[in-house]
Amino acid sequence: MKFILQLAVKNLSRYKRRTIITAVAIAVGLMMYIIVDSILRGASLESMRNLRWYETASLRVYAEGYWEDRAFLPLENSIEDPASIMSLVEGEQGVATVRTTFAAEMILYSDDFGENGNMNVKVTAIDPTQDFEVYRFEDTLVEGRFLEPGEMDGLLLGSWFAEDIGAEVGYWVTLLTRGKGGFYEAFDMQIVGIVNCPNPNVNRTLIMMDIAAADTYLGMENSVTSIDILLPEKTDLELAKVAIQAKLPEGLEVFTWKDLAQDYLAIVGAKQGGTGMILFLVFIIAAVGVSNTMLMAMYERMRELGMMRALGMRDRDILLSFLFEAGGIGLIGSVVGIALGSLVNIYLVNTGFDFGFMFRNMDIGFRISSVMRGAWSLSTILKAFSAGIFLSMLVAVLPIRRALKLDIPTCLHHQ
Amino acid sequence: MSKRIIIVLLGLTILFLPVSLFAITAQEIVREMDAQATFETSYATGSIKTVDRFGTKESTFKAWSRGTTDSLIEFTSIAERGQKILRTKGSLYLFYPDAEELIRMQGAALRQSVLGSDLSYEDMTEEKTTLDDYDVTLDGSETVRGRDCHILILTAKTRQVAYPVQKIWVDKETFLTWKGEYATNHGRLLKKMEVLDTLVIDGRTLPKETRIEDAMKSNSATWMMLDTLEVNIPLESNLFTLENLTW
Repeated sequence: MKFILQLAVKNLSRYKRRTIITAVAIAVGLMMYIIVDSILRGASLESMRNLRWYETASLRVYAEGYWEDRAFLPLENSIEDPASIMSLVEGEQGVATVRTTFAAEMILYSDDFGENGNMNVKVTAIDPTQDFEVYRFEDTLVEGRFLEPGEMDGLLLGSWFAEDIGAEVGYWVTLLTRGKGGFYEAFDMQIVGIVNCPNPNVNRTLIMMDIAAADTYLGMENSVTSIDILLPEKTDLELAKVAIQAKLPEGLEVFTWKDLAQDYLAIVGAKQGGTGMILFLVFIIAAVGVSNTMLMAMYERMRELGMMRALGMRDRDILLSFLFEAGGIGLIGSVVGIALGSLVNIYLVNTGFDFGFMFRNMDIGFRISSVMRGAWSLSTILKAFSAGIFLSMLVAVLPIRRALKLDIPTCLHHQ
Repeated sequence: MSKRIIIVLLGLTILFLPVSLFAITAQEIVREMDAQATFETSYATGSIKTVDRFGTKESTFKAWSRGTTDSLIEFTSIAERGQKILRTKGSLYLFYPDAEELIRMQGAALRQSVLGSDLSYEDMTEEKTTLDDYDVTLDGSETVRGRDCHILILTAKTRQVAYPVQKIWVDKETFLTWKGEYATNHGRLLKKMEVLDTLVIDGRTLPKETRIEDAMKSNSATWMMLDTLEVNIPLESNLFTLENLTW
């Protein structure tokens, strides 16, 4: 066995050019695999984080019946006496804030916007004193100012939404909506600030106003549509959900961010198949490169193989020698590929690529608005390393076995 | 002295007796107005024309009704052919023939617009019980389209109605609502309604062409036009059932 190993190593150094070319093919394939996996994994992780930071928080409490009718944002299914619920919720090491979300028609006027228009929008009424403890909008202001507590006519817009409708700070709009119970209400609001956050969904649609103003206009009588809770990152949300649900009075339901974003997560789940396919294709390309090189190497060395058999070397030993040689090439390629992939990944994880120019006008299904960053995955690196060696050996088996089936004179006369 | 007072009071009573006997109250006007608009059964054909910034759209329909609760509308225009809206007491159903799908509209879903018009499904489900939902006051008289009208101010008693304040002009003779202005609690005008043409059926004057204008948006209005109307006619007993809707 020692001789066979020595022979394999010797052959690696004897055919330097072939070894290098094959190893480079493997290295490039594995590097691509690591990079693609890192970008997709990073995009997925960042999307989940942006969902929690700007859309869903960790947990949310709704009144019974709200979830079934959520598409209509019903104010009738609201939480009465939210203050008492907040005190129950905040005992669970989390912070909570109240929000009221309602559907409205936004009416734009030619005085400010150049022409009259209207559109259906979703408005989120927030408590400016609490909301920043749960959501991370405090660093997202790009123009104007944030809402002030109790401000009756201030509106905050997402930057892409503002851009789409041509809105600027200081412009006036009218919100036409239905209050709790169904009565019509209309109120004039002035845009006081524009925010730009890393969540494209929020940037495209965000409209925020003060919750006290919404309470007055919509006749909410201190009720709210949701209580949003932020828990520490490592919290087991399913356990926390059960614990909080147990504390709540009848008629309230707790949802985790995964429940709230189930539509998005279903799309992500469906995309996993596509992602797996991309990675599989990257692997196939690498494997085809390796197998082709090994095949060429085998046919090049057919006479050498015949000579070894003529000198009395057993077929099993010849097979092992060639397999070890292929494995050696795989090992060199894997080490180099992982080293190169990791180097690129350092940049991807820390800096990333800015795709803002693309994401502005298209929805790629991730909650990322500009910079796509990578993510480290030890399992991917280990998988790539072992697959690089294993695949090299695997693709070498077929040509070796084929050569070993030929008789010795044919091998010796092989051109 | 007391005798003189009695005589004066008697005199005043006699003087004002005709006025108090024949003056109609706001509530009576509304009751009469509701009664005039309700038939035992009816069948109508007509159209809804909607004009907004995207252009003009016209849909034609056939409609059957029974009392104040049951009605069925079937759209006959090409784009919506076969779509039906069934209203029974407390429920509203939509049927889409292409999808062979029956949808029950309830809660906030009723607030959606019907075929993009200025009418909502909720407007269609409103039963003619104005006095249950509104306090009514008489606010003088005015001539509309040459007709002498009472002006009524309707203020919502609950938050469960769409329009918190309504100002309507009701014909003193026929009790037809010629004009209406619908506003928010703070007096912001939302919609304006005006009857442009009428027809007389069974001795009652009814709107033949009505214009509903969205006061919040420029160039947005809906015209409701009735081509034919038959009242108090026999209707099949299963007309207002779900089975009939999907058949």
